[in-house]
Amino acid sequence: MCGIAGIFFKGANSNQVLGKALVDMLDGCQHRGPDSTGFALYKEGIDGLRLRFLVEPEDEQAPRRIRAALAAQGARIERETREGVSFVFDVAFEGEIRPFAYAMEHAAKLVSMGTSLDIIKDVGSSHDLDSIYHVGEVHGSHGIGHVRLATESDVKPESAHPFWATGFADIAIVHNGQITNYWKMRRRLEARGFEFRTDNDSELIAVYLADKMAHGTPLETALEESVDDLDGTFSFLVSTKNGIGYAKDRLAAKPMVMYEDEQLVAIASEEVSLNRLFPGRPLATTEPAPGTHRTWSR
Amino acid sequence: MVTIDLAVTPVREANETMRAAAARGEDIEIANPDARHHIGVGLIAPVRVKVKGSAGYFCAGLSHGADFEVDSNVGWGVGDSMYAGSVVVGGNAGAIAGVALRGGEVVVKGNIGSRAGQVMKSGTLLCCGNASFLAGYMMYGGRLIILGDSGERVGEDMSGGEVFVGGKVANLGADAKFADITDQDLDEINAFLQKYDIVFTGNFKKIVSAGTKLHYGATEPITRPQPHTVFSAEGVYWNPKVTEDIAVKSQIGRYRIRGYGAAKAVPHFTDIALKLDPNRIGAGDPLKSVNLAMVLGNRFGAKPLNLSMPVLIAPMSYGALSKSTKIALGRASRLSGIVENTGEGGMLPEERAEAAQLIFQCLSGRLGWNIHDMLRADALEIYISQGAKPGLGGQLMAKKVTKELAAIRGIPAGIDLRSPSRHPDILGADDLVIKVEELREATGYTKPISIKMGAGRVRDDIKIAYKDGFDFVQLDGLQGSTGAASTEVLENVGIPTLAAIQEALDGLNDIGHKGDMPIVLMGGIKDGVDAVKALALGASAVAMGTAALIAGGCISCMQCHVGNCVTGIATQDPEHEARYKLDRQALAIHRFLEAVRWQIAALTAALGHSDFRQLSRDDLVALTPEAAAITGLPYDPDYRGVAGEFHTKVA
Repeated sequence: MCGIAGIFFKGANSNQVLGKALVDMLDGCQHRGPDSTGFALYKEGIDGLRLRFLVEPEDEQAPRRIRAALAAQGARIERETREGVSFVFDVAFEGEIRPFAYAMEHAAKLVSMGTSLDIIKDVGSSHDLDSIYHVGEVHGSHGIGHVRLATESDVKPESAHPFWATGFADIAIVHNGQITNYWKMRRRLEARGFEFRTDNDSELIAVYLADKMAHGTPLETALEESVDDLDGTFSFLVSTKNGIGYAKDRLAAKPMVMYEDEQLVAIASEEVSLNRLFPGRPLATTEPAPGTHRTWSR
Repeated sequence: MVTIDLAVTPVREANETMRAAAARGEDIEIANPDARHHIGVGLIAPVRVKVKGSAGYFCAGLSHGADFEVDSNVGWGVGDSMYAGSVVVGGNAGAIAGVALRGGEVVVKGNIGSRAGQVMKSGTLLCCGNASFLAGYMMYGGRLIILGDSGERVGEDMSGGEVFVGGKVANLGADAKFADITDQDLDEINAFLQKYDIVFTGNFKKIVSAGTKLHYGATEPITRPQPHTVFSAEGVYWNPKVTEDIAVKSQIGRYRIRGYGAAKAVPHFTDIALKLDPNRIGAGDPLKSVNLAMVLGNRFGAKPLNLSMPVLIAPMSYGALSKSTKIALGRASRLSGIVENTGEGGMLPEERAEAAQLIFQCLSGRLGWNIHDMLRADALEIYISQGAKPGLGGQLMAKKVTKELAAIRGIPAGIDLRSPSRHPDILGADDLVIKVEELREATGYTKPISIKMGAGRVRDDIKIAYKDGFDFVQLDGLQGSTGAASTEVLENVGIPTLAAIQEALDGLNDIGHKGDMPIVLMGGIKDGVDAVKALALGASAVAMGTAALIAGGCISCMQCHVGNCVTGIATQDPEHEARYKLDRQALAIHRFLEAVRWQIAALTAALGHSDFRQLSRDDLVALTPEAAAITGLPYDPDYRGVAGEFHTKVA
C-alpha cells in the first residue's frame, strides 16, 4: 500500500540532481504512504562495490561482525561510513556475487549491493530521510523511490522499499500492489537455491526479474513475462545499472502516470508527483495501458 | 472572479474559499493546481471554475451545479458522484472518470483510463479520445460516449444505461451486448457534441446490458419456513435445516440464499462470565449512579455523535427493510438517545426526520450516495464489508426495485440491481486515504467518518483504518446478519465476533495506539449482558441489528431474501408492509433499548463501577478453553452459574 516514483535522465553521461528530484516526487505522494520512505539511487563515484547494512542502534557488535565477514570473503574495505540506521561499506571484491551476498547477510541486514546502486530507506517521510541521509544532494543518472503505508508487516527500516534483488548486484524494485501467487512463485525460486530475506512480495519480483536477466533474458522480455507470471494487482518499477522499466497488471488496479521529454522520463503513482518536477506547468502525461511494460536504458 | 493560487494555498483552505466565493456567485480561477487532489469537491452552487493546469483525484467530485473547466489532465474519479453541472477536461483523465455520476456532463478531450463510468447512474460521460478497459463497468444508467477506440470488456456487468463507441470495440464485457442504434440516439448524441463544439463524423456502435447473468435457471421450491431459532438450536449433523438444504439443492442444483447470520455455534459472549456478586444487581438505581453517556467521532475535530449509552443501531438498508421499519428504527433511536444508520441504498427523508442522529453509509455501488444527504447526515461511513458476507456484493431483483426505492438510489426503476463487491476507488489503503480526505473536504471537515468492516484479517485491517484517518470503526463479526446471502458465506467466511474484537485490540496495540480509535462491535450482540462483556473486553460501544428487528416484531421466519416478510419488515410489497404497525413497533424497539440500558447500568454498578468506561478485562473470566484461547482471559469454569444469565463463582 504505497506510492512509487522513478526518474531516468537521458543522455550518455547524465549526472543530474537525482536525489532532489526523487525527494520532491515522493513528498508529492507521501499521503499514499506516511510510514516509511526509500530511494534506490544510481550514481558514479562508488569505489568498487557498495554494501549498505541496516543495524539496530543497540547492536554495537555489528560493524565488527561485518568487517570480519568481509575479510572472510576476501573483500577489502576501501571506505566505511555510518548514516542514520545504516552502515555503508565500499569494498574491493572480485568473486561471485550471490554466495558473497548470502554470506554477508549473516553479519547484518544487507539492503543494497552494487557498483552504482545505493538503497537508502528508513521509517519517516521523504524530507526526514533527506535530512538524515542527505538524499537531495545525490547526483546520478536514474533512480526509483517509494513511500509505504505498512499493513501486514511492521513499521521497520528493513520493511521499507525499495527492495534489492537479493543476490544480484545493482537491481532494485519498488512496487505498489499485492502479488497473490507469492508463495507459489517463492517456492519455485527457493527450490532453485534462492534465499529470501523478507516475506515481502516486492522482494520476490526483484529476484524473479534478476534471475531471468542473469540467464540472459533482456529486462524488456523479463517484464513482459512478469505480467503473465504474476497474479494480483501491481504497478512496479525496476531499476538496473543501465536503466529503469515498469510493468502494470492487466486489471489496472494500481495507478501509474508517466511523463517523457527529450531530457528525462518520470513515472509515478500520481501526476501530482510529476508536477513537483515542473511546478506550475501542465504536463502532457500518459497512463500506461493495463498489462503493459516498457524500459529505458543507456 | 476569485483567483486561488494552490502554490501557496492548501487545498482545504482553497475549497473553503471556493465555497464562500460560490455563495456570493463569484466565478473562480485556480492557478498552479499542479495535479493536486480534491479541487472543487463538494461545491454546490452554479458558478464557473477554471483550473489552469492539471487537477488530481476527484476533481469536481460530489459537486452540484458548478461548471468546471480543466486546462490539462485530471486524476482518478473526475466528477465523482456529481449531481448536476459539468466538467470539461482539456487533456486526459485517469481511471474511473465519471464514477457514480448521478447527473450532469463530463467531457474529456483526451483519453480516459480504465473503468470509466463505473456505477454511473445518470448524465453523460464523453471521451473524445480512446478509453482503456472495462469502460462502463457495472453502470446503472446514463450514457457513456467514446469517440475513439474502447479497450477490452466494454460494458462489463452493466445493468442499465448505454455505451456508444465511435471507434473500434476491442471486445464486449460479460453480460453486455450490441444493440441497434436509433435515430433518437443519434440526434441526442449530435446535440450533445454540438453543445461542446465537437465534430465527429464516424459511426457509433451501441452497447447495452444483455441481462442474462442475474437469472437463475431453476427457482427454489416452496418449503415450509423453518425459523432461525429452530435450526440454529439443533445439532450440527442431520437437523431439519440440513436435510431441507440437501433436498432443495437436489432440485435446483446450486447454492441457496437466506437471511440472518451464522447458525452454527462459535465461541461467543455466552462463553465469558462477569466476575460479579449477583446480590449487588439492582441495588439502588443504577441508571442514576452509572454514567453511560459518550461521544463518538471526535478524533479529528469533527462534530461528534452524542450517545446516551454505548449502543448504536446497526446499519440496515431501506431495500432490505421496508420504509416503515426504517422509520421505526429511526424513531426508537431518537427516543433512546442513540444513533441510527442508513445502511446501503441512500437516506430516506422520513428516516432522517425521525432519527435525531443518523450515520450515512457509502457503499461500493454508491446507491443513493450524494452530497446533499452527506451534509444532512451526522456522520459518514465507508462500508468495506460486513460480517455476514465479507467480500461479497449483493443483488436486488427487479421486483424489489420500486419507483421510490430507485429514486432514492438514483437508478432506473425496475432494473435487476447488482451491488459490486468492491469500491471503484478503494483498491487499497493508499486509495482509501484519498477517499476519506474527499469526504472530509466535501463536508468541510465537520462530519465524523467511520469505517464498517466485516471480520476477516482484522489485525491488519484495523491498522489501515487507524492510519487512513477514520474517527471510529464499526467491526462486524461472523455472526452478523444480512437480508440475503449464501449459506456457504454466512456460515464459513470470517471470524467470530469475539475473535474480531480481540484481533482489533491486538492490532492497535501492535502500532502503539490501543485505545486511540473507538471500536463499535457488532455481530450477534443480543442484549445488555453481551454489551457489558464486549465493553469490558475493550469495545468502545456495541451495535445491534437483529436484536432491534426482533424487538420490533421480526419472527425469524427466514423469508427475508424472498421479500414476502409476513410482518412487513423485510419487504417492499405494500400489502405486506401494511401489516407493520409503525407506531407500536417503534415503541417496542425503544422499550427493548431501555431494557438494554438498564442491563448495562445494573451490571456496571454491580461490578463496582460508576462509569461504563471503567469496565475492564479484570471483570471477565472465560468459561471455555476456546474463549480463553481467543481472548486471553483466564479460564475459570467455576463461574458458570446455574441460571446462565448473571454468573457468579460457585465454589
